[in-house]
Amino acid sequence: MTTALATTAGPARLHALESALGDPFADDNPLGLRAVLEADERGEMFEAGEQALHEYGLGAEFVPTAFGGRLDRLDHLVEIMRSVYRRDPCLGLGYGASSFIAGVNLWTAGDEEQCRHAAELLCSGRRVAVAYHELAHGNDMAGTEFTALPGPAGLVLNGRKEIITNVRRAEALVVFARTAQRPGSRSHSQLYVDKSRLPGGHLTHLPRYRTSGMRGVQLGGIEFRDCPLPESAVLGTMGHGLENALRSFPVTRTTLVSMFTGVVDSALRTTLSHVRGRRLYGRTAADLPHIRSVLAAAYSDLLTADCFATVATRALHLLPAQTPIYALAVKFFVSKTLMDVMNQLSAVLGAHFYLREGPAAGFQKLLRDIQPAGFGHAARAACQVSLLPQLPLLARRSWLGETGAPAELFRPGADLPAFDFRQLVISAAGRESLSTSLAAGLAAMPNGTGPAYTALRAHGEHFAGELVDLAEECVSLSPAELSVGAGSHTYDLTTRYVKILVAAACFETWRHARGTDAAFLADPAWAAAALHRLRTPLGTPRPSLPGHLEQPLWDELLDRCARSKGLGMLPRPLAGSHG
Amino acid sequence: MSESTALSMTDSADNDDLQDWLVARVAEHLRMPAADIRPDVPLSDYGLDSVYALSVAAEIEDHLGFAVDPTMMWDNPTIEALLAAIGEERARSGAA
Repeated sequence: MTTALATTAGPARLHALESALGDPFADDNPLGLRAVLEADERGEMFEAGEQALHEYGLGAEFVPTAFGGRLDRLDHLVEIMRSVYRRDPCLGLGYGASSFIAGVNLWTAGDEEQCRHAAELLCSGRRVAVAYHELAHGNDMAGTEFTALPGPAGLVLNGRKEIITNVRRAEALVVFARTAQRPGSRSHSQLYVDKSRLPGGHLTHLPRYRTSGMRGVQLGGIEFRDCPLPESAVLGTMGHGLENALRSFPVTRTTLVSMFTGVVDSALRTTLSHVRGRRLYGRTAADLPHIRSVLAAAYSDLLTADCFATVATRALHLLPAQTPIYALAVKFFVSKTLMDVMNQLSAVLGAHFYLREGPAAGFQKLLRDIQPAGFGHAARAACQVSLLPQLPLLARRSWLGETGAPAELFRPGADLPAFDFRQLVISAAGRESLSTSLAAGLAAMPNGTGPAYTALRAHGEHFAGELVDLAEECVSLSPAELSVGAGSHTYDLTTRYVKILVAAACFETWRHARGTDAAFLADPAWAAAALHRLRTPLGTPRPSLPGHLEQPLWDELLDRCARSKGLGMLPRPLAGSHG
Repeated sequence: MSESTALSMTDSADNDDLQDWLVARVAEHLRMPAADIRPDVPLSDYGLDSVYALSVAAEIEDHLGFAVDPTMMWDNPTIEALLAAIGEERARSGAA
């Protein structure tokens, strides 16, 4: 099962998975959206889908090649997981993402034996759950109450972990526990718990939690009572749990939210199909100018989100020391953008987004399932709070610089150096080069003409100027304004900063696409559209696109849907004949 | 007065300055009077969060001009411990 694909490159594996799962929109496909919806109605995991992913060997995608898996490029992992998410986000999270998060903890901090053990489980289609969450503490990890304190024979586990994906079905767990009573940042550790080696009678599973979206995912809880565990279960150094967690976050925060773009890909296809088939006032809804505007803008936003996510994913390979910043920005921006697009599309579908039957019935499920993008793993607000105290430092150390990031960062799909989990760092220490890439890119902007080119230059200059203004404001921010007690004006500074990062990613991706065979990316229209939409002042609705930017996006959307190509940066061939 | 005594007096004056500067940083962040921050009490007891502790390391770098481990404040959670750790880093960076 896993061996045949072991040495195949990412795009070939994507093709194999797409072929195995078939056209999601075909009603007679037993692995299509219709069957997915039926499982969702029952609140169950989609069993045939799980079986198909098992046969494909999805678990091996989460395991580095050094441990016998197929994971060598995080951008390829994201693409493969999008294929799952575009069909069923419950499978994405429930079969995939939760085991991946657990894996990242292991590859970052675990020893050889722990990594080998988890790798064997995942490569044979079994699961490792990740048990960080306690209802009372949310994202406040330092508040963790679950304890693993010294006992007569190693550690003794006590406490509850709640709303944990697959906790009952998993063979092993990564548990985040308090390992010292004193407050502070060296009082927690991750534990790798092999359930089969626990003595009986100390472990209770809590009842399943019911949810409004992701209804098939088995969210459960677990309670330990005086459960002995050898000290060798600790991942890395005892007391370094918070450090390990922060080192893993750049990978998980960037890639997980990026996988959710697959959901919007399907939602956009569903909406387009609906408006093209629906006749109103003597023409199809797709002929109504307003409908076109909304869909073209939605497509623009999807591309913008994907561009930023792609750049940040490539940064994990190319600039790992900077990614603690980018990951927060991706989680904050991409999740919100994707959810906003879903809401805009729901307005286009009107009553049909609300129906649980008919050809657009998949939409209401996708709309419910995408919500965890905003709070799962880390809440958007928590990412903002983590960015805040770094602003003055970023202003001093990075924003006034003149060097940009390397060109490889902006070449979607191009080769990448090997990824090394052990190189992950806890903090970027105020150093990143994406924001200043914009001014550097403008200085090197090739000559051009036409309204899209002119618009792109003007928008680019606006955001480059915005970085200078922001640096001035942030350098002198009072430390009291940098904690969770900050006022909303200060929070807005993080939003303004993130938009500059996104603008830089889009501008530079366009600039480096010139002269390649990626004709759509090399045309300034998509990047000008992205920056146009980004320029909206905070709190106001985003403007629709001027006609000269709308038309190329609309044409591209129709073309990619007709030819079943992916709607992201890379028009990958996907299974389906949907048009 | 011997040379070494003069040197250690300068060091201790420096250390007082550094202590005042550090306490002022933390006090500002916590919106507390500096006088209420005791050098031997873990700063998390006053509500200092782990993320801010990371940026203090960078402020120390900019203030003193040599690199310190970002988790320095996690491993040395009181003002006293932090000053001692900075002293060691300073000796190391001076020796290097």
